[in-house]
Amino acid sequence: MPGSASTTSHRSESLITRLHSASSSQNNETKLKVLRELKNQIIGNRTKKISYIKQGAVPFVVSVLSNCDCVNDCLVVVQCAAIVGSFACGVDVGVTAVLEAGAFAHLIALLSRDNVKVVDAGARALRMIYQSKVAPKYDFFEEKNIQFLISLLDRNNENVTGLGASIITHSCQTHDEQKILADAGVLKKLINLLGGTTNQRDASLESFATIIKENPEVISKFVGPENGRTWCTLIELTKDRYPRTRLLACKCINLIKNAAPSYLQYVGMRTKLILVLLELLDDPGQVGDEALFTLSSFIEDDEGLQKLAFETNTIDKLLNRTQKELLQAKRLQGVFITLANICSNLECCRSILIQSPKALNFVTDALTHTNVDVRVAACICLKNISRSVKYLSAGRFMTESVIMPLIQLLFDTSTSVQVAALCTISNIVVDFTMHKSLFVQNGGVKQLVQLSKSMDSVIRLNAVWALRNLVFLVDSRCKEVIFMELRALTLTSLVSDPSASVQEQALALICNLVNGPVDSIEYVFSEDGLLMNAVGRQLWSASKPEVLIQGMYVLCNVASGKEFHKEAVMHQLLPQPNNDGTQSIMVTMLQSDTAQLRTAAVWTIVNLTIPTGAGALARVVKLRNAGIVSQLKNMVNDPCLDVKLRVKTALGQSMTFGDFST
Amino acid sequence: MPATSKKVITRDEWEKKLNDVKIRKEDMNKLVMNFLVTEGYVDAAEKFRKESGTEPEIDLATITDRMAVKKAVQDGHVVDAIEKVNDLNPEASYYLPTDLNGKTGYADQQRLIELIREGQVAQALEFAQDELAPRGEPSFLEELERTVALLAFEDVKNSPVGDLLDLSHRSKVASEVNAAILTSQSHEKDPKLPSLLRMLLWAQNQLDEKAVYPRITDLFTAALEDPSV
Repeated sequence: MPGSASTTSHRSESLITRLHSASSSQNNETKLKVLRELKNQIIGNRTKKISYIKQGAVPFVVSVLSNCDCVNDCLVVVQCAAIVGSFACGVDVGVTAVLEAGAFAHLIALLSRDNVKVVDAGARALRMIYQSKVAPKYDFFEEKNIQFLISLLDRNNENVTGLGASIITHSCQTHDEQKILADAGVLKKLINLLGGTTNQRDASLESFATIIKENPEVISKFVGPENGRTWCTLIELTKDRYPRTRLLACKCINLIKNAAPSYLQYVGMRTKLILVLLELLDDPGQVGDEALFTLSSFIEDDEGLQKLAFETNTIDKLLNRTQKELLQAKRLQGVFITLANICSNLECCRSILIQSPKALNFVTDALTHTNVDVRVAACICLKNISRSVKYLSAGRFMTESVIMPLIQLLFDTSTSVQVAALCTISNIVVDFTMHKSLFVQNGGVKQLVQLSKSMDSVIRLNAVWALRNLVFLVDSRCKEVIFMELRALTLTSLVSDPSASVQEQALALICNLVNGPVDSIEYVFSEDGLLMNAVGRQLWSASKPEVLIQGMYVLCNVASGKEFHKEAVMHQLLPQPNNDGTQSIMVTMLQSDTAQLRTAAVWTIVNLTIPTGAGALARVVKLRNAGIVSQLKNMVNDPCLDVKLRVKTALGQSMTFGDFST
Repeated sequence: MPATSKKVITRDEWEKKLNDVKIRKEDMNKLVMNFLVTEGYVDAAEKFRKESGTEPEIDLATITDRMAVKKAVQDGHVVDAIEKVNDLNPEASYYLPTDLNGKTGYADQQRLIELIREGQVAQALEFAQDELAPRGEPSFLEELERTVALLAFEDVKNSPVGDLLDLSHRSKVASEVNAAILTSQSHEKDPKLPSLLRMLLWAQNQLDEKAVYPRITDLFTAALEDPSV
């Protein structure tokens, strides 16, 4: 309503005017009255804060603060500091305004006053500033700054020690900074503060976590099992009566575990920690959400911990909760990420989810959730569940309720959702001839091909990967449909994609394409052998072994075909007649350090030299002339057993035509 | 025969065991002080401090301030209460439970209720429009709508939102504000004594299943009853 809006701004204007005159007045009563009024208007009221900031209230308040004498005007000083703190609280433009007005130095000066209320007000305001991401970074590399920080932590005032902790939480980011703080004895001081009041404890735990985060060096030096007291305190705090304190203690222990898994085993906290975190999920707010993410991080990449989580019924507890109440997006995301991590290795965990229709529906329903993070998490969860070979080969996931929403996600506006969906699809389409048609018939291939032309290389990579898995052992009719959709030209450009990973997957795709019935080999010869030439070119020019291996296997598969196919492979492998001096790429491959590449190369030779073929003798002669047979002879004692075995076969086959090596 | 299978502990044995438990006088005093401070009995706390020499966990002056805030809410002077909280510790409002209403919204809602109760409809609307609505926090809007709905009923007391005008709502807000201030002072919001008594009752109930012993049933006198065998 325009009417009421104007009264508000009118009121605030008059307050600004009074503030202006008060700032130059000598009368403390007048000042106090205006300042209190301003303070009471802005505390907890974002709209008003922003309105007053725009009207330039901050510089006035700071000028009052700077003109105060801290002994006689301490009431005014406290009001000013409280106002500055409130402007800075929760509003980034407020922090900027406060800093630009030069409040920082004045507030720091308040910390060394005798009056406790003045010190408190100054410390609180500074804490507010350091809680914002726009606050300046504290420079820990300055010796005197470290000394000042330590003097804050040593003070017998929870607002001041809290400020010290906030400075660390806000500013300590690099390993060097973590190390400086740890070496200066800050960790020890923080541990001491853990014995203090609730507010001190929580603030200290947070900055403790900041200093040890992802820093094995600091952890091994200061938090190893021999630091009995630190461990005792942390473990004790996981039983604290305040949920937030328990959570923070768990977070610290999780950070230590992630950097040095053995410590946790040593103090026997593994199951205990999972139970504490599970109990914290009862908190409906931020603590419960963070507990879930901490639990998820705790069990990630550790099968032993996943097993413990399974044994403590984590899956049931998470699922029960989802059935009882409607969860917020953040919580749902946490649930799916945790389920995903539990299911990443253990079949028993996947079974629980797959065998309960409710549970699986819960996951697939979330694929269409309005929140991006939830959709991504649900995809990851589904992917890890579908790592079960048993259920995968039973076609448990190739159902409309799973496939249809996944295909829809390929059209998602968010790249991260698309990538997550591609990864899940890659996994689900991997193994079964019988059910793939469902995916193909519902437009899945069309969209995968679209995404394989994306500008984003991550999307391209995952789309080609999914296609590669889809083509694996697929029946001829589906293969035909897929190839019609893909076309040789698209595949050709993917083979020479700027990203080596995409090249690798594209070559693997072709390898799967030509695998199977002999007719399949014809795909690489369509359109004047466009694909065959592209593969050959890549073999001559690529340097990454991963790419070369896949390229070599394409030729290996083609070489298993008819005479004409084998000749085409020979054509790609040997140098062109006008380049007589060049060494065959085959020799380069055979000399590679990568055993897998040597295997692929020898396999190809085996396929080329099968003695029953009409042109086999001519091919052996060509291979011999290119120095390939003598290279094979050097490899009879190859360290890789696979290679050694194939070399024997290849040499045996070429010897059937007699040894011309004399 | 379950009754006789219980272990019987005579009064003599029990008292002997009780005598073996050493509880320091200072700890008992601390518990009493904790109760007086948390509940806000500032005069009693001051006397107890002098008599027993027990130092309170927090500055007694802050109790007076806290009680003044609580009383202001109970008397319906919400603006006064908010200003007092702001003087005490601007961060206190952050400890108000968010599930009841986000942050200061909790006290603000009460302020709106009081304006409506006093029949100051125009001021109530202006306050809701200018100060509450712009915050637009989704969790807050629902309660705001419920409160403004008060204006729609003639017989407010019997309306679906009548509970907001009930004096017990004031008490609820008052005790939330009290707890918020205590939390901001790093003080527990509940005194320790009542939970100790609850623990005693629980322990006795557990023990009842296994033994017959001199029980404490009357908590006022804490007299031991003779075991009835």
